[in-house]
Amino acid sequence: MVLELHKPRPIWQIMFSTHHTDVGLLYLITSLAFMFMGGALALVLRLELFAPGTQVIADSMTYNRIFTVHGTTLIFLFILPSASAFGNYLVPIMVRYKDMAYPKLNAIAFWMIPPAGALIWLGFADFTWYAYPTYSVISAPGPAADMWIFGLKILGVSSILGSINFIVTIMKCKHPDLPLSKMPLLAWAYLTSSLITVVAVPTFAAALLMLLTDRLGASGFFNPVMGGDPIAYQHLFWFTFHPEVYILVIPAIGFMYEIFPRFSRKPIFSHGSGVTAFVLLALVGFASWAHHMYATGMSFTEKTVFMVGTLAAVPASAMHTFNFLATMWGGRIKFATPIMWAVGGIALFFSAGAGGVVNSAMPLDFITHDSYWVVGHFHLFVMGTILFGTVGFVYYMFPYVTGRMYNEMWGKVHFILSFVGTVMVFFTQHILGLFGMPRRIYDYPPIPEWVQMNIIISIGAFIIGISMAIFLGNLIYSSAKGKPADMNDPFGLGGKYYYPYQAKNPHH
Amino acid sequence: MKAIIGLGMVLGLLMILPAIQYALAAGDEPGEYLDRRVEIWGLFYRLMIVAFTVGTVVSGMIVWLVLRFRESNPKAKPTEYEEAGTW
Amino acid sequence: MSGHSSWPEWVYIGVVVALLCYVGAEAWNVERIVEHVPADAEIIKVIGQQWLWTFEHEDGTKEIGELHVEKGKAYKFEITSKDVIHSFNIHDYVVLLDAVPGRVNTVWFSPTEAGEYDIQCREYCGLIHYNMRATLIVEDKGA
Repeated sequence: MVLELHKPRPIWQIMFSTHHTDVGLLYLITSLAFMFMGGALALVLRLELFAPGTQVIADSMTYNRIFTVHGTTLIFLFILPSASAFGNYLVPIMVRYKDMAYPKLNAIAFWMIPPAGALIWLGFADFTWYAYPTYSVISAPGPAADMWIFGLKILGVSSILGSINFIVTIMKCKHPDLPLSKMPLLAWAYLTSSLITVVAVPTFAAALLMLLTDRLGASGFFNPVMGGDPIAYQHLFWFTFHPEVYILVIPAIGFMYEIFPRFSRKPIFSHGSGVTAFVLLALVGFASWAHHMYATGMSFTEKTVFMVGTLAAVPASAMHTFNFLATMWGGRIKFATPIMWAVGGIALFFSAGAGGVVNSAMPLDFITHDSYWVVGHFHLFVMGTILFGTVGFVYYMFPYVTGRMYNEMWGKVHFILSFVGTVMVFFTQHILGLFGMPRRIYDYPPIPEWVQMNIIISIGAFIIGISMAIFLGNLIYSSAKGKPADMNDPFGLGGKYYYPYQAKNPHH
Repeated sequence: MKAIIGLGMVLGLLMILPAIQYALAAGDEPGEYLDRRVEIWGLFYRLMIVAFTVGTVVSGMIVWLVLRFRESNPKAKPTEYEEAGTW
Repeated sequence: MSGHSSWPEWVYIGVVVALLCYVGAEAWNVERIVEHVPADAEIIKVIGQQWLWTFEHEDGTKEIGELHVEKGKAYKFEITSKDVIHSFNIHDYVVLLDAVPGRVNTVWFSPTEAGEYDIQCREYCGLIHYNMRATLIVEDKGA
């Protein structure tokens, strides 16, 4: 792979390269930088909510802007690019091709991210990450809102280009000796999530344009005063963003499919079941979008249809969990940092999934909708599952990317603190939601239960913050001064696998 | 055989269609006074019983797997794939 | 791939599907029971706007920020909004529905205990969303 240890290169050689490992490195560094930035915003929010009344944020508008940018950053600028990062590293190697199918397109897709990130961060919009009209049309202050719309537009194009590249690389550039059925599950993860992206994201791209022209007053798609319907936007939005949940989670599951067999010293329990579950999820994932909208006044019929569609997506996820546990069964597991994250990830994946089943039961929406229950629920997915899988994979890839070993002890401390913090924050948020605290509020009345739970949540959030500071320190220190890794077997597991560093970078 | 399958499918459809019709069209007739708190929270607690039961099984399974198949467990033995060195 | 048997996985999937069917059926049934509005429910029009709630009773009386109802009666809320999407929520009575401009959404409830309860907005609606509150006052006329 990059192996800067053996042969350092000037930074611009990496920046202007189109080689897949170089683009992967750029993706990785950018996404991790945005992860720390978005996480820092979360800490500011938790500081504000530590107690009723004003703590550190002067006014509610600033608070609203911060949670909007927090969500947008972590979904679009951390999770999506970090998945692309490892896809760039591994997909060409897994399909045994010299590079991605379109290297220049690949670099273009990456270089759309920094300007989009700049638009989002310099604008600092306030209308939440889903920008519902009519608030976003008639009430959200510009130019922040318009900058957000343009930023998201660019990111949408970027992820579609990236997905096309993955699909073509896998379908057209795969080595002829390697049938699809034998392709590693991580490559399958990229194939399915890219297919979902290509089908789902254009809808939102269209909705964004309509939103923009609505804001300019040129049209009234979502503005009832001009004969439009705000609920139409929600349908368009969630038609993209419920499948988007699967776009985000499938690569993380793919990472776990890489980590579990590796450290259990045993092949995956059932390759076929993993493939089936990916494809099933990709199909059924499109049948559930409106479960986000039960409270918008949907009819009993609509609710029933979307509840059934939501429940239908659960068996696929359950098959992955089974596959992971069955892979560990009978293995000889070396608990290095990556598999600790993966095991923690499936435990939280189950909790998030169980919460999701409960959410899909339509009468419970009267209790949980837009309360902190929902915040806890989806954070268990995006943090508990996706971030845990991704961070585990960052540790797994660290020696291959840098040629050095991360600090194992601090990696484990990072995991334990993060796990404890995640449980403290997001499980408590579920309960807080049952006590009726709405999400996205800057201040809350001093109801004793709310205050107590908010204190617990804030403390948990700071524990996560400390663990992430440790992570950052570990990354920086180890990539510069860490022990040189044994590149044939950095984790001391024995055995042969395809090794990512075998990719030939022309610059080396 | 084909005829039996065909007949089964037709009969199955005849069963399923009215059920779907009923399931989707419910909620039209006027109802009686009831305490929605009792109904909804009751549903919530029933589902929590299911969720926590399954959760206990799953997390118990994970903990057991982690303890039993860890490298440092006295009973740990090399997997059959380790000798060949490929997995 | 080893020569493992796949029946445990099929049993497992069967159990998962059975549980999901149970969840779906229960939820469907409760929703059906809860949605039926009694024929004699009194209509209260609820109007959300940035950032306050207005209530209009059947007899034409209007209230802002406070809603007086009687214990034991059934009330049907007709919820709409003047500007952006809000969400009308009485958490203690598990009443929640979005107030959408250009639409009228209905939900009904029947208060069973006298007292004061919080009404809040649960859909992000801008600057004072966090404080878009009102009070539900349930009166016991029989006592």
